Amino acid sequence: MSKQQNEVPYGTLDLLILKTLETLGTLHGYAIARRIEHVSGDDMQLSQGSVYPALIRLQQEGWIATDWGISETNRKVKFYSLTEAGRKQLRVEVAKWEKATALVTRFLRATS
Amino acid sequence: MTVRRVVAGLAALLRKRRLDAELDSEILAHLELAQRDAVARGLSPEEARRAARLSFGGIEKMKEEHRDRRGFPWMETLLRDFSYGLAAVRRAPAFSAVVVGVLALGIGANVGMFSVVDAVLLKPLPFAAPERITGVWEAPRPGIVNATSAPDFLDWQRLATVFETLSAEQSISADLSGTGEPARLSGKEVTAGYFQVFTAHMQFGRTFTPDDGRPGAAAVIVLSHAAWQNYFAGDPDILQRRPILDGASHLVIGVLAPGAFDRDETRFWKPLIFTSDQLATRNVHWLTVYGRLRDGVTITQARERMSAIHTAMTEGAPKEDREAAIDVEPLERLLVGDGLQRSMTVAFGAVTLVLLIACANVANLLLAKGATRRRELAVRAALGAGRSRLVGQLFTESLVLCLLGGIAGVAVAALLLALARPVLADSIPFTAAVSLDFRVLAFAGAVALGVALLAGTLPALRMAFGNLAQGLNGSARGSSGAHSRMRRAIVVGEVALSLVLVSGALLLLRSLLKLQGLDTGIRIDHVITMSVDLPVGAYRTPPQAALFYQAAAGRLQAAPGVAQAGLSTTLPLEWISNGEAMQVPGVEKLVHIRFKRVDPGYFRTLGIPVLAGRGITAADIDGATRVMVINQALATRLADVAGYRDPIGKKVRVSCPGYVEKRVFLPEIEIAGVIRSERVASPGYPDPPVVYVPLAQAPTPRIKLVVRTRTEPGAEMPAIRQAIREIDASLPLGDVATMQQVRERTLSGASRPAWLIGVFAAISVLLAAIGLYGVVAHVVTQQRREIGIRMALGAGSGDVVSRVLRNALSMVAVGLAFGMAGAFALTRVIKSLLFEVSPLDPAALAIACATMTLIGLFAGLVPASRAARVDPVTTLRDEG
Repeated sequence: MSKQQNEVPYGTLDLLILKTLETLGTLHGYAIARRIEHVSGDDMQLSQGSVYPALIRLQQEGWIATDWGISETNRKVKFYSLTEAGRKQLRVEVAKWEKATALVTRFLRATS
Repeated sequence: MTVRRVVAGLAALLRKRRLDAELDSEILAHLELAQRDAVARGLSPEEARRAARLSFGGIEKMKEEHRDRRGFPWMETLLRDFSYGLAAVRRAPAFSAVVVGVLALGIGANVGMFSVVDAVLLKPLPFAAPERITGVWEAPRPGIVNATSAPDFLDWQRLATVFETLSAEQSISADLSGTGEPARLSGKEVTAGYFQVFTAHMQFGRTFTPDDGRPGAAAVIVLSHAAWQNYFAGDPDILQRRPILDGASHLVIGVLAPGAFDRDETRFWKPLIFTSDQLATRNVHWLTVYGRLRDGVTITQARERMSAIHTAMTEGAPKEDREAAIDVEPLERLLVGDGLQRSMTVAFGAVTLVLLIACANVANLLLAKGATRRRELAVRAALGAGRSRLVGQLFTESLVLCLLGGIAGVAVAALLLALARPVLADSIPFTAAVSLDFRVLAFAGAVALGVALLAGTLPALRMAFGNLAQGLNGSARGSSGAHSRMRRAIVVGEVALSLVLVSGALLLLRSLLKLQGLDTGIRIDHVITMSVDLPVGAYRTPPQAALFYQAAAGRLQAAPGVAQAGLSTTLPLEWISNGEAMQVPGVEKLVHIRFKRVDPGYFRTLGIPVLAGRGITAADIDGATRVMVINQALATRLADVAGYRDPIGKKVRVSCPGYVEKRVFLPEIEIAGVIRSERVASPGYPDPPVVYVPLAQAPTPRIKLVVRTRTEPGAEMPAIRQAIREIDASLPLGDVATMQQVRERTLSGASRPAWLIGVFAAISVLLAAIGLYGVVAHVVTQQRREIGIRMALGAGSGDVVSRVLRNALSMVAVGLAFGMAGAFALTRVIKSLLFEVSPLDPAALAIACATMTLIGLFAGLVPASRAARVDPVTTLRDEG
């Protein structure tokens, strides 16, 4: 669906955002992007702007909630936080991811 | 996709502007924060701004993705194309008006017809579990159904366990008085089961219980909602009212809720109370029986059970009786006969053809329009619009037109239905409620979409995938190759379809003319008819009734303006429902005959000639020798079965119904004369054998007056009323109709589809003419340059005209060939609707072909003469 070539592994941005919000609580978009960059170190090139299309979709699914607040530069900005449904979804996504990686790992070991 | 996402996506479409603004402010805040952090890392403000931008990524690209993610991109495109489409409609109002008009005709005819088909054939009957309602009949011989007698009905009721309820009824009518204007009301006497079979809902009160049907029970009635409104002004205290019916006061015990029964002619119901005479007589068949099957019982099971009952009941009875059977028919089949179903199928087929023709027209118009837009499309393609976007846009434009056509079509359908309503009411069963309801509107929407697909797809593909580069090249005007071949093919198809419709309409018209000219065996001019029902309370005995007939005939005859008057039990041309049996000495098998009672004036009034012996005279009264007159058909039959070369003077026994009592007699009657057959069967069926018995020798209280007037029949009604009033002032005259009206009523069953299909044929001819004209005119416009060159090189205007006409007529000729093939293929369908006309009637086909050719000529002539007036210099200079 996305025409953009994410530098982030395909389909993982949602997971990263949900996990970030679970760990740090309520954050604005910039803080989410920074946190993902920070945690992944310099291994991953993230266009910071790409969190916004992901955020609107997660919001529409009802996994994150938004609230207006004031940024550190004194500007009105949206703050995002995980909802109960989001917490559940995160568990599902994590389980899925672990299953997938485990499978791939097993597969790579078997052939090597 | 979850429901939540769909809802959120739709909401996002509506809140587009706000969401965009919110995103903008988020981006701004984001960049500020990033810049601040970068400055904190020691970058200069300028460098910091650049760094912030860089790590953010492409802003516009992200915004687009944001929009795609949150909503439905295809829907946004659709909405945009839709508004383009509306703009295109406004830009070309004339073109749009023609397209919408053509579609309105095609869709309107279809929607109107569908609403009738839906009401009559598709919707379930307006009763609870209607599939369980059946008619139950005696079938004396295969294919013939008959009413039943009271004891038989009671036996069925006792033995037929397959039915939850059985009800018997007979139609009656009664004079209502004491409520203002005296009126004659149709009604039914029914047994208590009636309202369980036909599950009626009540506005007030109750329906009948078995107690209401016991001898000596109080006189009670149930009213239809319409009767309560019309005759009692919707009086809320109706259950306390005691209206006078035929001189006796009746208590209203219930009023039905509004519904299907309001469309029926029955206004009131009365309990059927069997007399001891009726209970003792098995050989008088007078009850119509309906039943409600038990849940889960099939028609086949019911039939088997009823034939078992019949076998048990007729054990030891004469062979004739044992051969008979009991027939169970679903109510639906009784209401919608084969004839109605066939007419409706043919009419629906006709409107479908009209719709196809409209589609062809619209496709053609769109193609023609597209040809003039090639440049625009080529420019858009050159600017980077994908083919699929172009197809999508073109298709959406035709969709807009089709939806507008659909809306206009519903209006056309409403108009058609309003016009057809009086005729419709007579020709469809009362259970069918025709209205433009939700189902019909859904159908209209589906048709509009279907038309858009059918008529819009081809032009859209054609235009978007044609050689677009050529569109930019101005010199590509003129010959248009594949493009024009397709348009010609569409016109050919249109002409073919129209020919099928027009020839069908002409066939039906010829059939109608044949019916009009049908020899009915009677004189119908200046004849007016009416019915008289003698109240049995006042006319207790047959001689009293006979006295009335004699007086009535005498008074009428003497009335100024009346030439002749006669009385009979059934109107001329109307089917004689009273069937009886004749016992001929020495012949074992009974002869089945139709039984009609007439007075001495009847044959004279209708100009029916006596072929042998004599007619009925004033001397044929009670006490004199019993005589009868037979028709030619019966004379032929008697010659066959009994070898009577001359039937006059022969004595046979005929079963005769009694005066009021449900009993038959089997007197010996002498054949006094033979008359030329008057028509009593439907057109196309042979005359049945008929026995005419003097009314004075077999009186009955329900009688028809047939009066031949000297002037306009309607004008003599006051004199006729006065004559009857002089004998009995309390007798109302019912069912006043001229013989011409009676004739139309009895023959109209066959004529109705004719005018309907005639209307559709006219519409299709109009559409085909528009289509032909459009194509020819367009071709001429395209070839203006070529024509200009030809004329500059010395071609005369006659050459130009003949070239254009040849072009038009060649399309018509090919179309006619296909159309003829179509007409041949459809002969079987229309055959059943035709009366004495072959489905391949050469005259009808020839006229249809000539009509289409003429249309082709006219459609070609206008553009052709315009082409001939072209000034070569102008065209050659014209680069546009």
